[in-house]
Amino acid sequence: MTNILAFSETRLGELRRAGLETVTAARRVADATGGQVHAVLAGGPGIAQHAAKLAAHGADVVLVLEHDAFANYNPEALTAVLAARLGSGYRAAFFAASALGHDLVARVAARMKLAYASDVTEFAFSADSVAVAHPGYTNKIVQRFVLKANPALISLRAGAVLPAENAKAGAVEALAPVGDPTATRVKVTLTEKAAGGKIDLGEAPVIIAGGRGLKEAANFKLVEDLAAAFGNAAVGATRAVTDDGWRPHSDQIGQTGRLVSPDLYVACGISGAIQHLAGMRTSKTIVAINKDKEAPIFKAADYGIVGDVMDVLPALTEAVKQARAGA
Amino acid sequence: MTASNGLFALIVAVAAGFFAYNVQRLVGFLRIGRLDDSRWDHVPRRLFNLITIGIFQRKIFRDAIAGPMHAAIFWGFCVLTVGTGEFIARGIMPGFTLAHFMPMWVYRFYQNNQDLWGALVIAAVAFALFRRLTHRVKRLQGAETHANDPLLILSWIGALMVTMFLAEAFEMVAFPEHATPFYRPLSFAFANLVSFVPHDAAAVIRSASWWSHGLLVLGFLNYLPYSKHLHVVASLPNVYLSNTSGPGQAGVMKYMDLEADVEQFGAKDVEHLSWKSLMDGFACTECGRCTAVCPANITGKMLSPRKIIVNVRERLEQRAPELLMADGRGQRVETTLLDGFITEQELWACTTCRACVQECPVSIDHVSVILEMRRNLVLGESRFPEEVTPAFESMEQRGSPWAFDPGDRGKWSDGMNIPTMAELAARGETADILYFVGCMGSFDDRAKKTTVAFAKIMQAAGVNFAILGREEKCNGDPARRMGNEYLYQMLAKENVETLARYNVRTIVTACPHCMHQLGNEYPQFGGNYDVIHHSTFIEHLMAQGRVPLRHDLHEAVSTFTYHDSCYLGRYNQIYDAPRQTLKRALPVVNLVEMPRSGDRGLCCGAGGGRMWMEESEGKRINAERADEALATGAQAVAVACPFCMTMLHDSISSRSESVKVYDIAEVVAERLG
Amino acid sequence: MKLAVCIKRVPDMEGRFKIAASGTGIDEAGLKYDMSDFDGYAAEVAIQITEKAGAGEVTVISLGPDVVQETLRKALSMGAHRAVQLKHDAPVSDGFAVATALAAELKDGGYDLILCGRMAVDTQNRSTGVFIAELLGLPIITAISQLSVDGGVVKARRELEGAYELIECPLPAVVTIDEGIARARYPSLKGIMAAKKKPLDVKPAQLGAITYQLEKMELPAERAAGRIVGEGKDAVPELVRLLKEEAKVL
Repeated sequence: MTNILAFSETRLGELRRAGLETVTAARRVADATGGQVHAVLAGGPGIAQHAAKLAAHGADVVLVLEHDAFANYNPEALTAVLAARLGSGYRAAFFAASALGHDLVARVAARMKLAYASDVTEFAFSADSVAVAHPGYTNKIVQRFVLKANPALISLRAGAVLPAENAKAGAVEALAPVGDPTATRVKVTLTEKAAGGKIDLGEAPVIIAGGRGLKEAANFKLVEDLAAAFGNAAVGATRAVTDDGWRPHSDQIGQTGRLVSPDLYVACGISGAIQHLAGMRTSKTIVAINKDKEAPIFKAADYGIVGDVMDVLPALTEAVKQARAGA
Repeated sequence: MTASNGLFALIVAVAAGFFAYNVQRLVGFLRIGRLDDSRWDHVPRRLFNLITIGIFQRKIFRDAIAGPMHAAIFWGFCVLTVGTGEFIARGIMPGFTLAHFMPMWVYRFYQNNQDLWGALVIAAVAFALFRRLTHRVKRLQGAETHANDPLLILSWIGALMVTMFLAEAFEMVAFPEHATPFYRPLSFAFANLVSFVPHDAAAVIRSASWWSHGLLVLGFLNYLPYSKHLHVVASLPNVYLSNTSGPGQAGVMKYMDLEADVEQFGAKDVEHLSWKSLMDGFACTECGRCTAVCPANITGKMLSPRKIIVNVRERLEQRAPELLMADGRGQRVETTLLDGFITEQELWACTTCRACVQECPVSIDHVSVILEMRRNLVLGESRFPEEVTPAFESMEQRGSPWAFDPGDRGKWSDGMNIPTMAELAARGETADILYFVGCMGSFDDRAKKTTVAFAKIMQAAGVNFAILGREEKCNGDPARRMGNEYLYQMLAKENVETLARYNVRTIVTACPHCMHQLGNEYPQFGGNYDVIHHSTFIEHLMAQGRVPLRHDLHEAVSTFTYHDSCYLGRYNQIYDAPRQTLKRALPVVNLVEMPRSGDRGLCCGAGGGRMWMEESEGKRINAERADEALATGAQAVAVACPFCMTMLHDSISSRSESVKVYDIAEVVAERLG
Repeated sequence: MKLAVCIKRVPDMEGRFKIAASGTGIDEAGLKYDMSDFDGYAAEVAIQITEKAGAGEVTVISLGPDVVQETLRKALSMGAHRAVQLKHDAPVSDGFAVATALAAELKDGGYDLILCGRMAVDTQNRSTGVFIAELLGLPIITAISQLSVDGGVVKARRELEGAYELIECPLPAVVTIDEGIARARYPSLKGIMAAKKKPLDVKPAQLGAITYQLEKMELPAERAAGRIVGEGKDAVPELVRLLKEEAKVL
């Protein structure tokens, strides 16, 4: 009963980074409790190629479910497999706190009639329970729970555990579907990457926004360059800028536009009028670049640079590129 | 009495009867509107309006060209109508003359005037026709106008005058013994010109002219009810019945009983409007002065206040017969004033600046129609620009249209040693004056500088004041102006309760919208306070010598211009106090005025809830105002409203690096000794 | 079509929260409450379905003390047809216990489609919808951003991180609603008046066993006061270092 299961999420035949985080987390627990890590790798034909990588991150056993019916996410069939497997005796199971992970962990818990912990940022195992922390109240409060269920089903917030290599045997075992995996009620008919790589403002973890300080529409290129350097960033704008037609109205952030709260918000040449602040002040980290050191935006910002956006942005874009290349 | 007299009497009777029928028909139309809008009070005030605005054409003269022209026609009409009465009476009873009812010299004087005004009317009508036909005067254009009607009417009036002169002149030719050259100099001069005409021919021409004049008069009377020139009949009553509330009260929105068990909130169609709003439709002659000063229209938006009023009349003429024919004989048209005539887009473009109402020569109230229709959109149909939802929700949840933590409301005062009413009450103390800060002043970082400046001035002057801190709520003005009466009343009642708890009597505020609400609209909820805007208050403190000022400062700017806030100016008639405050604080600085200032001031674009709506149609209003302010060459712009501040700051900072916008309190606070 | 929407009353999320003396709840003084955001979207979706079809009935259900009636009335004022309060006075943070009570009420209702928010914005547990489906033996699609119901089949779209899926399942079913699908309408005064006359039943909640217990609430570390890193582009390296090491966003 001390083995730990890690569900390694895949998409379109690719292993996701979150899939390594769950294995790393499981490894950490198993090392403390003396159990083994069993990683589950499910997908269409060819998915088994990722088994080695899971082993490198600490899987003692890689349970491979390779089947046409799992090329797309197959929630009901996976639930059946995992509930059966977990029923055979595990201390815990880790899932990613992703759209699919949230779906799957809840299904498995429901099937097993167990409580579970969602979006966990911290966990500590003891003999008969797990103390977990997960955010609540739109991330303004940390909630600490005691999860007494066994196995303890946990979905892990991205970044709570960073993937670390810790090579183990990674013996590959085939995992068979339970029943006919195509005879499900819920069917995913298509999985596709978001079009054009353009990230919606509401979803983007990083937003680079520009204001009148950019002086003219053409200079938004500097903002777009910085967004491209981040890779996961969307471009936003102030009302003054969208009113002037420099950017489409759909890019507007503020009281009358989109209300956003990304992990990082970079305000470029934005003075910080109430209209704008109302739409972004709940962002986790705010960076402001403005040449007027009296600009209200600096009161809302965590970090500020007083300077001309035309000078600072190209330098910042370069630095971000280097930082990301190094990471 | 001859056969001809008899015939004329018959024609007069038919014409008068038909006119009377139309009057009662149109009065019947007004009665489909809401009747709970009494206009029978304030008789002296109404008579005063009638005399100044109506008879003396006070507002007409706001246009230097059209003003004298219209006044000539109007006064001419007043004078000549007496003569027309005599004319008709004489047509029925030969030998009738007004001379029997007055001293002869008065009668002669009157005849003199008849001649003179007849000529003036001809001149004015000729000028008007010339102007219409050769200069495309912008405000007279518009899809909603009846372009040919004015030409017909002007020609008609001209013909009336010409036939009057013809009849008079040829009478003098035909019957020289009737000539009164001294009393009718113009007619006599004209008679001299045509004196070659034989007497009997002249008698025929005189008779033809006489009949033409008579028929034109009676025809004119009966054409009016079918034309926009019903204006001629409806204007004076409309001025008499117009809103007579005093300063501050005229712009107050009507209270709505939300508990009443009614199906309709606000106006979707003409029958939901006040009868007075319907009458406005009869009084309008499409002069377009309202539309010419409308900030939305000026900047290329669809809204035209004239169109709103024209639409009300058009729809009324369609809808009233439907409603009045209970047996269903009326042909029903499946439409409503909203959507069928007036679009949502027009209604939301209004900044409620009241420039249109200010300008209208016959005291039409366009804004109340727009606001009643907004009430229907929000309360009845939940239709409004989607970007407004967060503002509504936030006012409801957090007592401010922006989603800030209510706990931060008093944060600007940290370290300033300003007590809250609750703190004072806990110590068993109280303050003379409550400073109602408002949401902008509490949460907007730019406006907070004004808030701090005003507080410092009061502290320097030794004023005993306190704030409400987190107990303060939005005054509700944005909700009310956007038609959300339900939300507005919720906020107003909460504030009235809070103010009652501390027994507040005197309130100061730097926000004209807070001032207008607390001072003018809260009495509807039992809140009666003496509310003073900071411009008046600072001016007062300075006049008393209570504000210690340094005058040894080097002034960085030498010219200022002041932008009037609509809710301070047109709503509350405060034009001088902010200017005086500036002059006292900056004795060496030159105050220049923008072309549109005082009661002609152009709105900043934020009023009427526009602050929380997108402005993607046409030029932005604040850009228009910024251009005007910069064109004065002033080096700084002063404002006395946090909304004007944010709008002008936004547009001016993108146009000029050097020109800055200040609140008058900041100007004073900077120079505190 | 018969639709049911499960809604939760939560505090307004814009304010700063304080932890109550008990340590397991927030200080409720001065807080305003409203429907959880995602539940509002779910109610809107359900109402739109009946409006579009010109037929059908939307039942809104909420578990909690009597104050939840206010939240139910709001859903009724948006256009839901009837409401059920499952009365339970103490706060419950166990999704399974809540789902048990909701499923008991939903079981014999003959609902074609049951909608929930993707999660309650206060507890952020994300469990109720899935547990309801399991308890009722119905298929479920979670966190959907588009929905169509046609010929007894639910078709939906779910946003993933940088991708999306199209999913379908037969009715009756349960769906949980993500943002992007519909904004909850602002009730008209007409709606508010009408809501006062709509039926609202109160029944005792039959909660399941509680196995997930909230032990403690804490406020996250205070956000440090903002600071100016430097002037001009020379400040960039220091900014990048801070983003990496302190804010951990790079």
